[in-house]
Amino acid sequence: MKARPPIVVESLLALLIPPACREHVLGDLHERFTGLGSYIVEAVRTVPFVIISQIRRAVDIRVFLMEASALYFSFMSAAWRAEGVAFLHQERSLLRLVIPAGAALFVLLTRDAYSTRGPRISALGSVLETTVGVGFAFLFEVVLSAASGRLALPRLVVLVGSATTVVLVSAVRIFFARNADRPRGAT
Amino acid sequence: MIKKARNHNSITQFQQLILTAILRLSEAYGVTIRDEVAELAKPKSISLGAIYYTLDRLEERGVVSSWLTSPTAERGHRAKRCYRLEALGERALQESAATAKRVRETIAEVWGKEWAKEWEKRWGEEASS
Repeated sequence: MKARPPIVVESLLALLIPPACREHVLGDLHERFTGLGSYIVEAVRTVPFVIISQIRRAVDIRVFLMEASALYFSFMSAAWRAEGVAFLHQERSLLRLVIPAGAALFVLLTRDAYSTRGPRISALGSVLETTVGVGFAFLFEVVLSAASGRLALPRLVVLVGSATTVVLVSAVRIFFARNADRPRGAT
Repeated sequence: MIKKARNHNSITQFQQLILTAILRLSEAYGVTIRDEVAELAKPKSISLGAIYYTLDRLEERGVVSSWLTSPTAERGHRAKRCYRLEALGERALQESAATAKRVRETIAEVWGKEWAKEWEKRWGEEASS
């Protein structure tokens, strides 16, 4: 009987691989299985490529740029309103604004790569997805302020920026379809 | 909406290897394509991940197309994603072969017939080994 990878390892791998390519990637890794060590090495060399490829496939660069701009604008306008123009002239202030925007964008990109839904989503679904992304950014800022207060934004800026982000990014996601309709000849 | 395919000439050397592997294989899927490309690209080592990434890009451009087969027991009851060349892929491969021929002829012209003979001898040995 042919050796097979441990079910636990295979199940963990299945969680990491985006659903769109999970079936054939797991099958190929299974077919090449010769031992646990080589299986893990092969998986480590394969999964990042598959995730990046899926992000590239799922993300429309124009929508991505709109979301990134909306995120940055939200936190910048929040900082402006809550802390005044002086905040934007402080050292590293622009970098500090990038951090929550980047964290939220990371979650939204990952969500798109692992999504099994079609190109269109309901308004409520868009708002929920954006809220999850912003929630992650908020938590990230809380952890950051505990670890290094110099890089974290003031709590009021994060709150106002997050609320603005939910409105703007949800609108982008409602009005612009994602790239789920790119060719995939599977039948 | 399917994006209009970009200029089919602009395929990389790695993409050429993958298209050649698909052309040669009767059943072209991740594992067999990787093995064939590894054979063609010797002594470079080729990862399965790089193959998937490139196949994805080629499929997006309409150079290849894919379909899922029925699950089999030796793969843990999982399906294969098989690939085939589309007309764009065949044309790209033909143009790559023509370009490679022109490059070889130009080098032979500059470095002389002796080099060409030596190269053919060495290439023939590598191909037969």
